[in-house]
Amino acid sequence: MIRPSAQLRAAIQRTTPPLLILLSAAIIILGKADQTMFESLRTSLTDDAAPALDALSRPLGAVAALVDRVRGVVTMYQDNVRLTRENERLLQWQQIALKLSADNRDLRGLLKSVPEAAVSYVTARVIANSGGGYVRTVMVNGGTEQGLARGQAAIAGEGLVGRLTEVGSRAARVLLITDLNSRIPVVVESSHVNAVLAGDNSERPRLFYVGQPDTIKIGDRILTSGEGGVFPPGLPVGVVAALDPGGARVEPYVELSQLGYVLIVDYGLSGALPQPVPVATRPGRRSKPATANEASVR
Amino acid sequence: MALKVSSIPSLPRVNSGVARMLPIATTLLAATIAILPVPVPGYAALTPAFTLMAVYHWTIYRPDLLPPIGVFAVGLTQDLLSGAPVGVGALVLLLARAAVLRARRYFINRTFPFVWTGFTLLAAAAMLVLWALHCLIQLTFFDLRSTMFRTVLTIAIFPVASFALGRTQRALIGAAG
Repeated sequence: MIRPSAQLRAAIQRTTPPLLILLSAAIIILGKADQTMFESLRTSLTDDAAPALDALSRPLGAVAALVDRVRGVVTMYQDNVRLTRENERLLQWQQIALKLSADNRDLRGLLKSVPEAAVSYVTARVIANSGGGYVRTVMVNGGTEQGLARGQAAIAGEGLVGRLTEVGSRAARVLLITDLNSRIPVVVESSHVNAVLAGDNSERPRLFYVGQPDTIKIGDRILTSGEGGVFPPGLPVGVVAALDPGGARVEPYVELSQLGYVLIVDYGLSGALPQPVPVATRPGRRSKPATANEASVR
Repeated sequence: MALKVSSIPSLPRVNSGVARMLPIATTLLAATIAILPVPVPGYAALTPAFTLMAVYHWTIYRPDLLPPIGVFAVGLTQDLLSGAPVGVGALVLLLARAAVLRARRYFINRTFPFVWTGFTLLAAAAMLVLWALHCLIQLTFFDLRSTMFRTVLTIAIFPVASFALGRTQRALIGAAG
């Protein structure tokens, strides 16, 4: 067997650890200076790891479903009573909604208003989270193959979850609204005051740049405003839960730490996120032609 | 024979390829487990540092099979997959390895409480460094409480990880060196 000389091996063994430590530090600085530097590496690695993560996260989902089921059996009677009552109330709401919808259609017809862009959804399963409190992201098992693109909004059940920041061919990363780097243009539903919802890694993101801060009340509903073209307007985000001196805190509608599935909303908007590298997409999957997206970037 | 090199001792040779890969494979598995979406409220922010446990275990018992380049690769993979700033995990794991290697002779052939105490010190220091690095990179002051909870959870879970790693080690490599 061929072996390098003992001195050489000793020298390599001595110098490797400090060199690698320096290299890590250099990578941190480079990554900080140019955020997009490692993005293609990140997406390709994520794509490679997606099948494994998908398979590993399935049993967890099954366990959660089982727990839900057992809980459901235990509370079946109370649930039934509650749901029957709720159903009665919702049937009344349905009548109101049908009437309003008809009114709305007629009035739109009178005004000759432009119809809103059709929205399409892609359902994706959460296959990984960020493991540690310094970033708030989740990975989902859908990518460009499913028609996902950077900047699209992710919603779950009752409200907004976040937006897609990195999209590979079969996996994508969702930056949650609680992440430190998340900034979302929102509007207060009752007063139509504009604000920016800024995450700070806590469970409750904060409202910044509020038009009229005095008008914010606890319990106000917060919706996306659609400004900046990142999100469609009117997606529910959360309710104002506290009025801190630093700004109002918003409790998201969605329990972000227990996401199972998310809906990715394709609103036909390009999003305000710059496209770093042109990703080769499979033609014909997107409902909109690419030129429409490019045109709206400006 | 071999000249006494830094602090890596000469350990019994492992011939099986699978067994030689075990430390890196388990450390990589730990990095994967750390990002699994466990459906428990607030879990993501408090996930125990599984890779740190694996690096600690293997640096004590088989440092020859978990070389710095392996630690670096797993750290980078973890950073890339978790969406964290690239390099932070790699740096912390490499520093942890260097620290453990220095103190290795105090932990070898000792009872488990001793090894656990060592890990407690390492976890506390590593989490503090991790917190400081993230604060520095994001230019913000992260709440220390969640880091503290995470540290406590990491220390509390360590016996389970240590047992599992010890068992696989005995099964595939042989007794602790």
